[in-house]
Amino acid sequence: MNALTLVVFLPLAGALLVAFAPVKERHLRTLTLCVTTLVAALGIWVLARFDGAASGEQLVTSARWFTLPGGTAVHYRLGVDGLSILMVALTTVLMPVVALSTEGHVRERVREFLVWLLVMETGMLGVFLALDLVLFYFFWEISLIPLYFMLGIWGSERRLYATTKFFLYTVAGSFVMLVAAIALVYQGGSTDIGELTTWARAQPLGVQGRLFAGFALAFAVKVPIVPFHTWLADAHTEAPTSGSVLLAGVLLKMGTYGLLRFGVAMFPGAAVASAPFFMMLGTVGIVYGAFLAMAQTDLKRLIACSSVSHLGFVVLGLFALTQAGLRGSVLQMVNHGLSTGLLFLLVGMIYERRHSRAIDQFGGIAQPMPVFALFFVFAVLSSIGLPSLNGFVGEWLILLGSFEAAPWIAAVAVTGIVFGAVYLLGATRRVLFGPLVHEENRNLRDLDRREIGLMLPVVVLCLWIGVRPDTFLDKTARSIDAVLSGVEDARAARETSRLPAPPPVTGEPR
Amino acid sequence: MSLDLLRTMFDAAAAVALAPLVTLTVGVLLLLVAELAPALSRHRPAILVAAILGALWCEVLVHANAPGLVLDGTFLADEHTAVWGMIFLSSALVAWAFGQRYYRASRTFLGEHDVLLLCTPIGMMLMAGAQDLIVFFVGLELLSIPLYCLAAFRRTRNDSVEAGLKYFVLGAFAAATFLYGAGLLYAGTGSISLVELRRIAAETGIGSPLALMGAGLVTASLFFKASVFPFHLWVPDVYQGSPTPVTALMATGTKAAAFAVLLNVAFLLPSSTALVLAAIALLTMVFGNLGALVQTDLKRMLAYSSVAHAGTLLLLVAALVAGPADPGRIAPEAFRDEVIGAALFYMAAYVFTAGGAFGLVSWLEADGERFTRLASLRGLAGRRPGVAAGLALFVLSLGGLPATGGFLGKYLVFSAVVRAGMVWIAVAGALLSVVALGYYLRVVVALYMEPEPEGQAPPMTRRLSASLTAGVCAVAVVALGVLPGLFLDGLL
Repeated sequence: MNALTLVVFLPLAGALLVAFAPVKERHLRTLTLCVTTLVAALGIWVLARFDGAASGEQLVTSARWFTLPGGTAVHYRLGVDGLSILMVALTTVLMPVVALSTEGHVRERVREFLVWLLVMETGMLGVFLALDLVLFYFFWEISLIPLYFMLGIWGSERRLYATTKFFLYTVAGSFVMLVAAIALVYQGGSTDIGELTTWARAQPLGVQGRLFAGFALAFAVKVPIVPFHTWLADAHTEAPTSGSVLLAGVLLKMGTYGLLRFGVAMFPGAAVASAPFFMMLGTVGIVYGAFLAMAQTDLKRLIACSSVSHLGFVVLGLFALTQAGLRGSVLQMVNHGLSTGLLFLLVGMIYERRHSRAIDQFGGIAQPMPVFALFFVFAVLSSIGLPSLNGFVGEWLILLGSFEAAPWIAAVAVTGIVFGAVYLLGATRRVLFGPLVHEENRNLRDLDRREIGLMLPVVVLCLWIGVRPDTFLDKTARSIDAVLSGVEDARAARETSRLPAPPPVTGEPR
Repeated sequence: MSLDLLRTMFDAAAAVALAPLVTLTVGVLLLLVAELAPALSRHRPAILVAAILGALWCEVLVHANAPGLVLDGTFLADEHTAVWGMIFLSSALVAWAFGQRYYRASRTFLGEHDVLLLCTPIGMMLMAGAQDLIVFFVGLELLSIPLYCLAAFRRTRNDSVEAGLKYFVLGAFAAATFLYGAGLLYAGTGSISLVELRRIAAETGIGSPLALMGAGLVTASLFFKASVFPFHLWVPDVYQGSPTPVTALMATGTKAAAFAVLLNVAFLLPSSTALVLAAIALLTMVFGNLGALVQTDLKRMLAYSSVAHAGTLLLLVAALVAGPADPGRIAPEAFRDEVIGAALFYMAAYVFTAGGAFGLVSWLEADGERFTRLASLRGLAGRRPGVAAGLALFVLSLGGLPATGGFLGKYLVFSAVVRAGMVWIAVAGALLSVVALGYYLRVVVALYMEPEPEGQAPPMTRRLSASLTAGVCAVAVVALGVLPGLFLDGLL
């Protein structure tokens, strides 16, 4: 069996097993952990085996799925390339971490939760690995449903509002994307993403622009790009810890990944034309998200708003359309998943002990919880981009890339890093240091071995990316260069079209 | 009529084409006879199931042989009508199976019920295959009259009688409209044969105002059966008042038959009306969805949702009337096949989805869940995990989410609309589907996310027929969503 098929469907098989296995809850957790660890091992194997110097997709598996009325064949087609490899690895590695963390915050209807968790892994990995447009859309929407249930059942007080808002926002974007996908399949005459990319790149700006708009809307909601960001703070705040981690770590990346594969790579002409607009939106997101975060009194909401800011960087880097910008964005997707995931895990741990997320309920808890403080400071530093940690590399590349493209926008974006330091370090100070004002914080239990153990892989990865980013960047180089060559062609075509138009050619329409 | 003429009319092809109808008719007669002898009436379920399965088998034969036009060109039996037939039969079987225990609780006599129920697929098949407006009318009445009775079948309950009466009065009105339209068509063109009319439409176009008015009236009468705006106002009351299994039949089988015919007679409408049809479709979706959004009663909500689905299907008719946007790429004939293929897939998925949803509602209702309020679904996931999971699956499929048949159905409909060049209509339809998810999600929220109310939960009965049927529906819905090739490659 193909390795990628195994990666995608092993979690689903695990979900069926967990759903019907007649064993105790404790064993169900172990079972889930085993399945996700196995998938993580497979994911790391795929990452190690992936040859960054080779072009095209690797480990491809393909079989005819069904034929649409009208004769277009839809394929079950999976493969991994430089754009998706890091996201696949990130997803598989985060899952065991999340599975282990459920012990802290999921106490009722455990079986159901674990089933949804595993179904979600299948959906997310399918999105990143699908090479067929219909298959991609299939997984894209499937991955919504588990999170909808996780938020709605295990979330906190305003969960129903948050989960419905999340679902309807995302689905509104997705359904518009569905029409764009249908139009693309109709005009391109295929559902294969590679063939469609070749076809779409050759189209005039008008055609590209309309299709791109349909796709971009769905991804902009998912990322989320300002002004579609309002669902995110609610969803993050109300979600259970593991939901937040997956939302921040992987689900939002589906949006930026989509912008990369179905925006920049597939419609380079439209991307070049709209790049200033998206860079501006990205920068607005960076600054606005930072201001939002500064005003928060709820720790979890603060981190959610910081996500808006950090993902603004990713969007900025993507639409800088330079090598440094694209590489930085792809890496920053992973970085944000790791750092923000870590922060959400830590907030979850403190919430389990104190049942509050309000910043003013804490203060000085570094005294009773030194280990917690250590990890928290680490996560914050990684998030604000301290050199030698992962965030620095990504943000540096993005800023470098966007400076090449638009110096003024980059100059505004840099302020985001300063603001990031302000709100995150400010929150750190108010939570961890200073006098212990609240008596009930004095006896807080420090992290136990499980909690430390589940965070260690993430910490190691943060350090690794910070010190040796090339291990990961090299894997993406070739695919990003292929994307860039499309962008260069589009730029060249744009330059020619600005010259006086050649005499109109009369011929039969296509 | 001379014997020779009879002999030429009823040839081998006609035998194959009529086999499903004959099988069902034999079943109806046997059921009538069985009612006379108490010893035989025990076998009623066996007779009914055998008749339907036999007819299904005959439809497989029709599908394989495709006899074409028979009976002097008045009846068509080809691959498409065969699949329509299978859809009608499945719909009737699902409605019957869910009805098994439903009536037992209210001590209703089931003999008449089964006879009437078995008549409806005959009517539907006649409608879908008719190439002659008179034959079509016979089919329409053979479907409608049993349905009027079935709607009023819980005769001790006011709402059921009201439903039957309402349906009858409006149905009679629609039938009269149809006849008037058919008369005008005849006056305008000199023919009531669809084959002949199709030839006239292709050669000279149906230009005479009389005939166009006739076409409009025929379409309007079908809008009534299909529950399309502005002829949808009867739907909520009738669907809510009728016995729930009958509602399932009306929502799935009757709607399928109406759309089979609408797609058949779409050629009567000039292509300039495509945008009007699309606008009516969108309005149907608007009224269906907005109506459903404010309901607190599950059955009534599903009724409005069924109106919205009629709107989605009407988009297909609009696409067919508009024709392919780029005839150089898709030939009009191929496009017609595509549109009908999309309609068949959509309806096949819808039969199991809506049939399953209404069926589960009927099960809960018969068990005395003080129904059919949405709020009474709270805590059902804990009390009856299977029923809750089934209901959630069905509403998500109605909402068109992947891994269910509803998703690909929606994909195919929008695909046809885009290919007809109406991209913005497709976008509007897609956004209206988001509104629909707004109320489908409320069902899921009530099932899984809201706390169980205090108080004694109603008793739970095990029902083999209902759980088996629900299971089959669920498997079909998932199979159509995950392995659509089974349907698309096998039947179309």
